[in-house]
Amino acid sequence: MLRASIQYSGSDADVSGIAEGAKAGDAGIEHGERLTAFADAAVTGDDAELATARDALRVVAGSEILVDAAAVVGNFERMVRIADGTGIPLDNVVSAMTSDLVEELGLDALESRRESKAGPLATVFRPVLRGVLETGFRIAGWRNRRSG
Amino acid sequence: MPSAFQYTDSPDPIRPDLADSYRRAWSHLAAPGTWLTGAERVAVADETRRARNCAVCRERKAALTPFAVDGEHDHAGVLPAPIVDAVHRLTTDSGRLTERWYRSLLEQGLTPEVYVEVVGVSVLVISVDRFHHALGLPPESLPDAVPGEPTRERPDGICEGEAWVPMMTGRRVSAEVRLPAPTAPYVIRALSLVPAELKAWQDVSAAQYLAPDQMLNFGNVRAISRSQIELVAGRVSRLNDCFY
Repeated sequence: MLRASIQYSGSDADVSGIAEGAKAGDAGIEHGERLTAFADAAVTGDDAELATARDALRVVAGSEILVDAAAVVGNFERMVRIADGTGIPLDNVVSAMTSDLVEELGLDALESRRESKAGPLATVFRPVLRGVLETGFRIAGWRNRRSG
Repeated sequence: MPSAFQYTDSPDPIRPDLADSYRRAWSHLAAPGTWLTGAERVAVADETRRARNCAVCRERKAALTPFAVDGEHDHAGVLPAPIVDAVHRLTTDSGRLTERWYRSLLEQGLTPEVYVEVVGVSVLVISVDRFHHALGLPPESLPDAVPGEPTRERPDGICEGEAWVPMMTGRRVSAEVRLPAPTAPYVIRALSLVPAELKAWQDVSAAQYLAPDQMLNFGNVRAISRSQIELVAGRVSRLNDCFY
């Protein structure tokens, strides 16, 4: 979804913040470094690290974005457990959009991926599906920016 | 739960729609469910919180494989062992759960329906607690259970074999939760064996992340931009070793 939102926005951002966290800097996303530092501290940090990351994000981005980011953390702490706990496979669309990210993000090494059943359609139609989706996101974003 | 989630001491103003969704989640948590009583559901919520301080879970998390470490969870003594194990592993090391482990719970007498409800209750509490934790706020007290019997209603049209757990078809779930797509993705179908849990997490998710009709709208709907949302989402998933 990050890649789709980047294509939609027409920006030159990248997805390196997902794999590398704050080490990737902002990666073309406003406050990206502080956001990933906050996410890291919220998931794996101790109380002091989290307080520091929270204050840093609040200073540059404000309370509204801090609260929104905390809500996203809460949501995805749930989502990962739903996916892991029910053994769902990747959807064909998601698989098509993310096939090249698997290596970049090191996902093949994950137990949860080995436990997931692959969607067969994704393998066969992946290149076509991905091209259609990427073009669609870019056109939708271009139209949106053009209409103001 | 009108008195819950007031956030009067929060240094950061909390959006009213978030607080409202959490109050609804707590009411849902306390009420008799589909397969569990209100007391059992609150016990699952309590066990979810206990898991974070469980010595066995800590040892397993640090081990090369979590299934190499034996021992009894630090539990409240209220729930059956398979439910305790499900809650603790889901809470502390979900990225290394396996289908074989899930099948072992069924062999111990847990039904897929109860398992899905347990997952639904546990992750609901986790999502609210982790929001509080991220903002440095104390966890909200768990609600008092509402007396009554579970409905024990299993939906029709359940299919098996696509995931570990049985699920509704993608088309049916899409219609039930009014998705702007003909078929629902697996992550939304995952809890559909117990529709009440699916609806409860959709309700909180609409406030914490996006409502279904906002998913394919990549413009901004909150103070945080869509790219910022997805960056945080992707990073949290990666840190939890989740492929999805």
